[in-house]
Amino acid sequence: MLGFPKVLHQLHLFEEKGVPYVADLNKARVVELSVVMMDILKLAETQTDDAIVETLSASYEENDISEAFERFAELEREGLLFNRGEDLARSLATESKWRKLLVVIPGINVDSFFDIETLSAGTNMALAYMIRHLTKYADLHFAGSRNRKITDSVYEVDIGIDDLVRLRSKIAETYYGILTLHQDHERWLLPLYRYLEFPPILVQNHAPRGHGGQAINSMLRHYAAMRDCDGFTAPSDYVRDFYADYVWDPSFFNTLPNGVDSKLFRPMDKAAAKREIAELVGDERIEIAPTVGYLSRVQSEKGASVYLKLAALNPHLIFMIAGPDMGRYASREVPKNLVYIGFHPREKLPVIYNAFDVYCFPSMSGEETFGLTVLEAMACGVPPVVPNFDGVPSVVGDAGLVANAENFAHDIATFVSYPCPVDFSEKINTLLNDTEMWQAFSERARERAVLFTWDKTARRIVQLFKILHQKKKLINRNRLLNVFAPAQPIEGEEPEGQNCRSVVLSMNTHYERCLIRDAVYPLPVEDGLVLSILKAHTAREAESILAELVADETEARSILRRVRGLINATA
Amino acid sequence: MLSRRRYRLKRHHKFEQDERKYVADLETGDLVQVNDVEWEILGRYESQTPYQIVKRLKGKYKLSAIFEGIERLERLGGQGILLSPITQPAAPMTANGNQTDRMPKLLVPFQFTREKSALDYLTGLNRYQFLRHLSAFAELETLAFSEIGGEKQEIPDFDEVRVRKIDVPKSSALAAPWYALDGYDGILLLSQFLTDDLLYYRMPDVPIVHCIDGAQQLLHVLLKTLLTLSAFQRSKDTLVVKASWMKAWLAELEMPVENVRVIPDGIDVVAPIGDKALAKQHTAAIFEKPMFMKQPVVGLISGFEPKRGAAWISAFARANPHLAIFVYDAMLAERYRHPPENVVIFRADDEETLSVLPIFFQALDLVCFPAMPGTPLSIVLEAMAFGAPCVAMAKYGMPEEVAGAGVAVKADWNHFGNFRVPMAELSKTIYKWLQPSQVHRLCENFSERIIHRHTRKDAVQAIVRVFEESFQRETDDYLGETERTLFPPIFCRQYEPETGALRSCVYRLGINRDDDDLEAALAEVLAEEHTAAEVASVFKHFQRESPECI
Repeated sequence: MLGFPKVLHQLHLFEEKGVPYVADLNKARVVELSVVMMDILKLAETQTDDAIVETLSASYEENDISEAFERFAELEREGLLFNRGEDLARSLATESKWRKLLVVIPGINVDSFFDIETLSAGTNMALAYMIRHLTKYADLHFAGSRNRKITDSVYEVDIGIDDLVRLRSKIAETYYGILTLHQDHERWLLPLYRYLEFPPILVQNHAPRGHGGQAINSMLRHYAAMRDCDGFTAPSDYVRDFYADYVWDPSFFNTLPNGVDSKLFRPMDKAAAKREIAELVGDERIEIAPTVGYLSRVQSEKGASVYLKLAALNPHLIFMIAGPDMGRYASREVPKNLVYIGFHPREKLPVIYNAFDVYCFPSMSGEETFGLTVLEAMACGVPPVVPNFDGVPSVVGDAGLVANAENFAHDIATFVSYPCPVDFSEKINTLLNDTEMWQAFSERARERAVLFTWDKTARRIVQLFKILHQKKKLINRNRLLNVFAPAQPIEGEEPEGQNCRSVVLSMNTHYERCLIRDAVYPLPVEDGLVLSILKAHTAREAESILAELVADETEARSILRRVRGLINATA
Repeated sequence: MLSRRRYRLKRHHKFEQDERKYVADLETGDLVQVNDVEWEILGRYESQTPYQIVKRLKGKYKLSAIFEGIERLERLGGQGILLSPITQPAAPMTANGNQTDRMPKLLVPFQFTREKSALDYLTGLNRYQFLRHLSAFAELETLAFSEIGGEKQEIPDFDEVRVRKIDVPKSSALAAPWYALDGYDGILLLSQFLTDDLLYYRMPDVPIVHCIDGAQQLLHVLLKTLLTLSAFQRSKDTLVVKASWMKAWLAELEMPVENVRVIPDGIDVVAPIGDKALAKQHTAAIFEKPMFMKQPVVGLISGFEPKRGAAWISAFARANPHLAIFVYDAMLAERYRHPPENVVIFRADDEETLSVLPIFFQALDLVCFPAMPGTPLSIVLEAMAFGAPCVAMAKYGMPEEVAGAGVAVKADWNHFGNFRVPMAELSKTIYKWLQPSQVHRLCENFSERIIHRHTRKDAVQAIVRVFEESFQRETDDYLGETERTLFPPIFCRQYEPETGALRSCVYRLGINRDDDDLEAALAEVLAEEHTAAEVASVFKHFQRESPECI
């Protein structure tokens, strides 16, 4: 039994040549029905299972009815016909006052974004804050498996990953943009870029390197496939600068700094904080000796080994580490001045930060674009020491010290850098040995941190979508016709093989005469090639092809520039 | 671009709900939301041609919206949604057994008339004669555009070609070739120096036959035209040249010549005015050169590059002082005022001069000509029609058009008109062929054959046959939507962790993995828009092997 009455999707029932069909407008599917199914659907919203059986038993065999029920159960499993959850359309119509963004992040339970304690990785934490603040400027619809309201301005909608392409015109009509998160190896996003109908797609990226080059390669793939009106966001300028060495058009990488909740993370009475933590872990050294702290998973990539070395180099200091567990170091002997202070709920973190005199961030992971914990420590007035690596120094600015790190020209396994323990150690001691200096850094840290707000981040997202919409308006499908022809010989020159040239016609595929004067204009083959490629592929794909075929990169870039100019100018 | 392939509308159901329009594909279960213009296009899709659809809807919707609508629907068709491709190309009317009595309807854009001043009298005359005869076998139509309220374009008066007047708004967005979509079985192009005609080569499903004359000067420009045309050609198009050596020239350049046909112009032969002696007498009198009565008369049908022609003719005359040489040269006749004593130069440039030409031809004992693109074959044949044998100065062996009526002397020429022939050997051969012998009788038979084989009617019928063949020819230029639709390539760069280097590669959607064969994917993408020959030439340019898949 199915549990009728049920809320139905937007349906359209029709017959064609005597065969009944139902079109599910929410899922863009058409399903052939039997006559009995058609009759059941007509009763589905008002009658119970039993009532339906009773009503129809006069006209149909019992078998046919139960078969129809089975078939409906199958369709329901496929997500068709029946609304799961409340009828969203009604609430959307009455409540919505903002632009709607479709948020597509497969593999993560939507609710987890609203229960911050369930999140551990910095990326998801950042996303959760961002989402929360974004609701001030837009309605967020999470692509999911049912229709329901999660909280004000936040909904789950019954749009599966597999539905996106089929529902593209509906999505275009409803949503101002699609917000998603870059994940290596995803398979659903790349095909979407092929459809110009979709609204701009903004892809958040927090892990631009690492994973043995896989992250870079996935990014490059997206970069190539993206339409002119899509883009990445990354938390620091560093990501754009980094990719400037890999791509010709780094403008696809937009900086979207994280924020910090500076009301939660604020300077407190340091002695009290240290006392609290000392009591918590039962180690009174924390109250006596100067303290260094780090909040992180204890992993090689996060610089765990460097942190241990720092502890060994500085027996006069207490090195605290807070994280889910001690990882592989749990069963190893660690320096005596290293104190594991456990894993704590988020509201406890301000006290923990405040118990540190210096925040030490030795991460060397290829995913480190920002260092959210560094910003949180700064908000608590704790001066940080960070490696001269990736995006972290740009967060710290003049509010902390930057230690040397050997940055690798290219990834090795998951590493892209190795921070120098000696320099780290020196910088930590410099800060701790000069009270005046420490005080100045502490104040600057707080001042700088409060500038990073999640509200700014949210507004930046809206602004980026606006920019992408402008770009979308400028996209044209102007496809000039061109051919490749052998070049004619030139007098006085020995013909060497068969040279080739290209010819562009002054007409596009819509039979519009786009160029005045001549009907055809000669072009170098390279230009003609780009002209042909751009008919169905992006300028970034043309970039890959030119990079392969034209040895001189300056020349290759100028070819792409002028061909795009021609296409745009004749649109 | 409107599709080259045709689609059939699948079993579907259209409906509107909440002011939105939907079409359900009942075969696949896909439901597609369409906009107003797509809705209307679908309603017309099966009964109307793209031309008709655009024409009917263009008052109501923006042109780009109509084209994009058709494109979107056909893109869906490529994925098997709503439309399904018809594998059999639509049979044109002429190939339809029930309608064999209907003449093919050909579009003859009249751009070529603008070339008139650049062409010599006979070439122009040949074109008009050709069209006049062709109108007996095909319905001919040309397009005349006039801007509404603008200046009327003057269309040449030509009775056999119906002029289809098209009034277009001043800022008409559609280029002329678009009008060729409207019910023509083929397009006949006659211009060779004007590039506007090239635009017609992007008409789907309408075969083009492009007739090209030789050119006496600027051989390399003609060559460029031929190379360009052959690049533009699709498999259903045909390039018609007027002499076998033109085709051999293209073959030598490794151009694809499967779709190059040799169809010489028809010739006009008048009855002899009397015997050869009388003709010689007239010739001598007209040119005031008594030697044309006494000496053997050799006709040189010249197609030399003019700058070089004069020098060559004078060298030839000096090497053969005993010959009276009648030179037909359309370009030199005016300019080469003082040729050697034993040479006269002539060309027909009006009715009167044309009418005396047969007299001179009848006076010839031998016809000599360079088999090169500037030489008009029809004049060679007309000159031989009175029984004279020929000595062809040929790069590619004895031209098949005159085989059996003379001999070839190996000559050489290049794309700039540089011409070389061993003069001593040429003189010796001419001397030998001037001797009366059995061979002469053979040549007289040959001349009979020429007259029967090269009528104007034969020439136009050959053209009609070319059109009919091209209706049948499969349009196999473009890869179907096979692999490309299934596994579309994304060209991207990839980072190699081993070396830190970037390389270009291809990622295939659908199978979701990198595919090293960038070249194959590139060829695939290019083949969507370009012919196999074009794709091959691009790969050659980049010194890459073209992938086998094309």
